[in-house]
Amino acid sequence: MNQPAEFKTRVNYSKTRQARYIAHLDTIDIICKALRRIHLSYAVTQGCHVRPKISFGPPLPLGHASYCEYFVITLLQQPDPEALKTALNRELPQGMEVLSVECPWIDKKSPAVGEQVEYRLHFSSQATADRARSWLLNPESAFQVVRKGETRKYTIGKAVQRADMAEADSGWQLQAEFIQGLADVPSVSKIVTALAEQLGESRDDFYLLERIALKEL
Amino acid sequence: MINVTESITHWELLEIEKPARYLGGEVNQATIKASPDLRVCLVFPDLYDLGMSNLAIKIFYEKLNAHPQIMAERAFSPWSDFEQLLRRKNLPLYSLETGTPLHEFDALLITLPYEMTFTNVLNLLDLGKIDLKWQTRKEGPIVIAGGPSASNPLPMARFMDAVLIGDGEEAILEICETLIRTKKANAERSDVRKELSKIEGMWVPEFTAPVKRRVFKGFAASTPPVKPLLPNVQTIHNRATLEIFRGCIQGCRFCNAGFYYRPKRERPVEDLVEYARQLLQNSGEESLGLLSLSTSDYSHLTELVNALDQQKLYPEQNVSIPSLRMNESTIELLDSTPHIRKGGLTFAPEAGTQRLRNVIKKNISEDDIISVMRATSGSDYRTVKLYFMMGLPFETDADIEGIVDLVRRLEDIGRTCRPRKQISISLSGFVPKPFTPFQWAAQADTAELRRKRLIVCRGLERSGSKVSWREEFLCLLESVLSRGDERVGELILKAWELGCRFDGWHEHFSRSKWEQAFTETGIDAAVYLRERRVEETLPWDFVNFQVPRAYLESEYAEAARAAEEVNNEPAG
Repeated sequence: MNQPAEFKTRVNYSKTRQARYIAHLDTIDIICKALRRIHLSYAVTQGCHVRPKISFGPPLPLGHASYCEYFVITLLQQPDPEALKTALNRELPQGMEVLSVECPWIDKKSPAVGEQVEYRLHFSSQATADRARSWLLNPESAFQVVRKGETRKYTIGKAVQRADMAEADSGWQLQAEFIQGLADVPSVSKIVTALAEQLGESRDDFYLLERIALKEL
Repeated sequence: MINVTESITHWELLEIEKPARYLGGEVNQATIKASPDLRVCLVFPDLYDLGMSNLAIKIFYEKLNAHPQIMAERAFSPWSDFEQLLRRKNLPLYSLETGTPLHEFDALLITLPYEMTFTNVLNLLDLGKIDLKWQTRKEGPIVIAGGPSASNPLPMARFMDAVLIGDGEEAILEICETLIRTKKANAERSDVRKELSKIEGMWVPEFTAPVKRRVFKGFAASTPPVKPLLPNVQTIHNRATLEIFRGCIQGCRFCNAGFYYRPKRERPVEDLVEYARQLLQNSGEESLGLLSLSTSDYSHLTELVNALDQQKLYPEQNVSIPSLRMNESTIELLDSTPHIRKGGLTFAPEAGTQRLRNVIKKNISEDDIISVMRATSGSDYRTVKLYFMMGLPFETDADIEGIVDLVRRLEDIGRTCRPRKQISISLSGFVPKPFTPFQWAAQADTAELRRKRLIVCRGLERSGSKVSWREEFLCLLESVLSRGDERVGELILKAWELGCRFDGWHEHFSRSKWEQAFTETGIDAAVYLRERRVEETLPWDFVNFQVPRAYLESEYAEAARAAEEVNNEPAG
């Protein structure tokens, strides 16, 4: 029997404003429902509980805005990227937006060993931004993470590759590059949570963090 | 206009469990009207995760926002972490759509789904910076409650400007139109309440006039909500809900819902199939849930299920039927339709012996239960959940031991089934609710319920069945809150002041605080738990429930006769 033609398609989307507080699994649920509502013909998994053939990028930590989220879905019809983008954008909650659609999409052959991630950290005060930058750029900066009653110690090490300061319309921003997913390298999520703790009473000056690029290593 | 969410910082939100509960912005959220004549907030006194599954909220949200002059928004009870944040920052509770403080709305329309949310209602009002009592409430929204737990409105009477008893579909528009009219006329609050009291089904504590339960006669021809809000946090019922009929013909003597939703009104199959199509099209939900009491009583269930099964909008679509009666044709129906969700089977025999099932008028025979269990052999169902009550009127220990015997027999059958069945039992103390034939019966006390529960637990100690139960004190409390008079409002207020919230949630419920509230208010629970004489005037007798009292009396007498008749039968 002939297999139907399949079209692997990558959909890049952003999560900003209140959508950054939607958890990863809820995001998956929201996207799957949106895909059903636009009558997309997609391939499904075999087995008793049928699911769409879809895979999502690495989970975005709660509270992080992002302009580089994606999922890859196997479609049964060649999509019109612009039409698919427009249709999906009508079906997403406030703060989620499809940025582009790429088809055909060819997955990387080898699995990722880590990620290089670029962030913009927004501050309302220059002094706080300076403090944050110094702390981030010091490989010796140490912090603890308590999880399920267990305390684990980390240092920044090579996690922060760079952090450049720039004045922005609404304050100051640090454009920072991180690596994560490697052994003994703390994740961006852990680092920024620790940074907020370091800032103490000034933490609310650090009011927004946006993931702007992600490259799998 | 103030948007309260702007006063909450990013880092504060991150300290909250599931912050998306408090931010709105969901798909199918109503378009914000620039200057509506009336702004109302639909309030559900429990967590977002539960409230977003509630059908009443969906019905009213769609209906009111379709009105050109009305803007309806939503608010849910905040979990303790978010409550603490609001109190610490002295911020008012707000609506999800626009972040508007509750006290700025023209009206709050509060659903009372179950009695254990009563303290949450007070908490919502307080967090919304609204005076708790209607008598001292000089400004802010008109506060109106409705829903199954408002059927006896007395316990919450001191907190409500008005209470709707019965179906809300038609009444809600009449309420809002009255509010628009009185708002334009700049009417005094007391005049607003007076106007509201003229609406059928509305009871206004200020006037204490008799009231007749509102029945939505046009239900069968009405359109259900077909463009529901899609939650940003997974809810307790993750499915699209379609109410196929309202009411129940079974007449179980313990069931308040069976009387509250009378009469039975069915939507036609062809309409339901079209509504299902629209609902799935607009929601993208994987599962379509057919909602009603005793779904098996829908006249054309097989036809409906087959039609829904054939109408596939997407490959993973399935139908879920949560409320089925126990009989063999049920299993045949489920097995014959491939796209019915086959997780577990849930049935409610309610009592362990045929004698007691006759007494409570639960129309299930032992043969039905046994044959259903046999019929599950070879089916995909792996778990069978059974609900039983204890403390029913005319119950003896033999009836409680009957639960053990029945479960043991079902286990024997379950062991021979492939795949093997896991049985779980849920036990709950019976609460004699107003407007049922058992409204005169006594509430079993906690010691008695505990003793009976231990009979079941010990009897099933070495069995493979899982037994869970509802805390006995909760049953007693539910009894006081549902059978209470105006004084019970004092108890609810005291309990809330002592810190009671989310009383239906195991992790929040505090027996000691409720006991303290009883002590400090001097309210004796026994007054509300005792057996009543049939000739006695009941606190809620002023509500014409559209079920004659004489009928309830005759049913109570019939139950007593049923208990005697079978008791007198020779053993074996």
